Amino acid sequence: MNAEPLPPRAATDAAPQRLSPWLSVTGLLLLATLLAAAFVQARQHALLSQTVRAQDDYLVLHLYQVEIEYLRLREQLLRNLDAPSASALQLRYDIFVSRVALLGGDRARRLLETSDPAGTLLRQLDAFTRRADLYLGSPPRAALSPTAAQALMAEMQALEAPIHEVMLTASHRVADQVTERQARVRDHNRIGLALTVFLLAMVLLFAAIALRQMRALDQRRRRLAQLADQLRDARIEAEAASAAKSDFLADMSHELRTPLHGLMGMLSLVRDAPRHPAAGDWLATADHSAQHLLRLLDDILDLSKLESGALTLHPAPVHLATLLREVHALLQPAASAKGLALQVDADPQLPPCLLLDATRVRQVLYNLLANAVKFSESGAVLLHCHRVDDGQGGVPQLAFDVSDTGIGMDRATVAGLFRRFSRGDDPRARRQGGTGLGLAISRDLARLMGGEIAVRSSPGEGSVFSLRCPLTPVEGLPLAAGGATAPADARPLQVLVAEDHPVNRLYMAALLARLGHPATLVEDGQQALQALQARRDAGQPPFDVVLMDVHMPVLDGVAATRALRALPAPLGGTCVIALTADVFADTRQRCMDAGVDEVATKPMSLAALRALLAQRFGLQAEAPAAAHAPEAAPGLIDRATVHTVRDLMGPTQLPALYDGFFSQAEEAARRMREAMRDADPEALRRSAHTVKGAALNLGLTALAEAAALLNREAGTLAAAHLALAVQRFEETMAATRTLCAGEGLLA
Amino acid sequence: MHRRTLLGLAALPLSLPARAQSLAPPDGPVVLTISGKVRLVNHRQGASFDMAMLERLPQHSFSTRTPWYAQARKFTGPLLREVLAAAGGHGSLLRAVALNDYRVDIPVEDVQRYDVLLARLLDDQPMPVRDKGPLFIIYPFEQHAALRSPRYFSRCAWQLKAIELL
Repeated sequence: MNAEPLPPRAATDAAPQRLSPWLSVTGLLLLATLLAAAFVQARQHALLSQTVRAQDDYLVLHLYQVEIEYLRLREQLLRNLDAPSASALQLRYDIFVSRVALLGGDRARRLLETSDPAGTLLRQLDAFTRRADLYLGSPPRAALSPTAAQALMAEMQALEAPIHEVMLTASHRVADQVTERQARVRDHNRIGLALTVFLLAMVLLFAAIALRQMRALDQRRRRLAQLADQLRDARIEAEAASAAKSDFLADMSHELRTPLHGLMGMLSLVRDAPRHPAAGDWLATADHSAQHLLRLLDDILDLSKLESGALTLHPAPVHLATLLREVHALLQPAASAKGLALQVDADPQLPPCLLLDATRVRQVLYNLLANAVKFSESGAVLLHCHRVDDGQGGVPQLAFDVSDTGIGMDRATVAGLFRRFSRGDDPRARRQGGTGLGLAISRDLARLMGGEIAVRSSPGEGSVFSLRCPLTPVEGLPLAAGGATAPADARPLQVLVAEDHPVNRLYMAALLARLGHPATLVEDGQQALQALQARRDAGQPPFDVVLMDVHMPVLDGVAATRALRALPAPLGGTCVIALTADVFADTRQRCMDAGVDEVATKPMSLAALRALLAQRFGLQAEAPAAAHAPEAAPGLIDRATVHTVRDLMGPTQLPALYDGFFSQAEEAARRMREAMRDADPEALRRSAHTVKGAALNLGLTALAEAAALLNREAGTLAAAHLALAVQRFEETMAATRTLCAGEGLLA
Repeated sequence: MHRRTLLGLAALPLSLPARAQSLAPPDGPVVLTISGKVRLVNHRQGASFDMAMLERLPQHSFSTRTPWYAQARKFTGPLLREVLAAAGGHGSLLRAVALNDYRVDIPVEDVQRYDVLLARLLDDQPMPVRDKGPLFIIYPFEQHAALRSPRYFSRCAWQLKAIELL
């Protein structure tokens, strides 16, 4: 029964296996009961056989017969008192003796001797027989005279009472025995009956367990079938998702190529005719394309982070009014450009400070508002922020309703609106230049916040998108994080840039210069720490913020931040913004763990940096920047020297001079590579030396520095570092050349 | 049951002519009288036998345990069906009567089916009246376990003096 083969145990399917022992236990019980029943029946059989053989019941009959024969013999004797030797008397006597002999049997004696009167009677009967045998035995030893007959008669009279007495006693005893036996049989029957009932119960139990096991197996089979169905469905789904991703990839690569082509086209136009009156527009278009490209990439990154679950929210106390003002500021130019009114308001009853991930809320609102602006040709775009109670005692929700007076959408479009990878479904969206991912990302973000995005729309009547998320008021707002409450001083920020790549370093410097913040540039984390301490030791104003590249030689950004945080206050509390090109969640986490205040993704746009600093140090921080003339890439060239050179050479000969220099520099770079290949540091040093001097003379300071480094260290640096230095030199050269072209120094 | 009885009855007359056409009168004291449905009579009550007549019939013996003796005892005598045949008896029931007027009915079928003995010797000795003699009907209890029951024990009439055929 329990030997039934079962499939291998699955974690969720232990029930049928658990049943097995019960089945065997029941089986054993069943067997035991059957054996017990057999035993009882055997006992009963034995009892019956014993009864039959014992013949105790017959004892009473024998005693009756003894009594009857006694009476007959006495009667005969009485009749023959005169002639006592008649053969009839002899026969009666013999019969009487044979009956008495029956009482002498082993069993009868055993039964009778247990009582005194019976024992006495047997002895009396023996005595009587011995005496009577004198006259009536075979052969008789004396003739039965009437006198002897009289004497025998007297003896017989004395026997009557005891015989009757014993007969009664025996009959009572046998009746008792019968009763006892019947009771025993009844007991046996009762036990047998109980066993039968138990047997029945066992059989029923056995059947029930077997049935249950069968059911369990059946259920399991059904579950397996169901699982197989689910697996098949999952496979179909996975295949569909894979196909959708392939489509999406194809779409996206198309989307990526479009702005890239625009960018390249515009750049080639500018390259061919840098002084064309429309060059500015071309560059603006190129910039627009680049922005679009960046936005696309950002979206793709967001989406991948959302899909992999790597995106985590960082809720912090947020001043709602500030948030809305920022959003308004972001969208106002676009709205104005289309002649739309952009109105942002909030229910005054809302708490001023809320717990929100401001970055993500801003992202969603920006997306919704940008869409609204995009799809409205006239009228107004409204952002209304209010509280929503579901009326069922649930968590109150914060709702941002974005309504427009745009083209609206039909039901089908609404249905497909949030579907991922379905961006190509709506040709209008493509024409409008969206990435097609904004809404999908927005909805995922909303859900991540514990909220949702709802849409109401009908064609021609505009749309209302509503972002809802849990409303969590907080008390007050820490000063440092506050936008609106930030000090309104317009002082420039002291910024320390730690970045190993010279071009990036210069780029950051240029960005900061545009924003009006003086930058101090260092090449690794070690230098950054030194710069921080040097400034403190010199008693100069401390750095407000450190822009820290994560990947740097000597001491990387994470280690440097950790070291910085270990410094005593106030130095240890300096704001650190980590810059990284990789967007992996663990990099971000590593930075956060090290004590970084913010992680920003490279490349950093002017707007992003402005927003970042604004968020950290208040909106006004950028104020003085606007007035500043674009001081392009400080450090790349020394304008004073260039000015001197221009004065010296005159504007006509100047381009030839610089062109010539760059040709030489390129030649030198080529030679350096050859020297590297030939492992000839001396040749490398010489080449670097030639460039260094010329660059210095022409005011190309950065290039001169790079060359000087090579000149100085060519003999000592390891091959890998040397190669890096050469590469830096080349990059610096390219950057300088571009700048020179921009400055009109080249032909 | 009835079929067997009829068969038994049919067999009886066939075997009779071969035995004895007439029954000689007894010489000694009569020990057994068969009355009722008997064809051959030598007495006004039926067929009478003395011990010698019974002795002349084919003798059989077996040992068996009985309720009346502690050990197995040897019984010897003619088969009861041979005795009935000697009297030309027919009928379906025989009523055995003992000296003390004990009576028991025995179906003739028993006699046909089992080798029921009309024992006259116990352990090769004649049985006196005081030792359940002179005649004792004994079933072959050792041969047939089914016979070891009160019904058959009660059919073993001892101190037998007469058989009535019904």
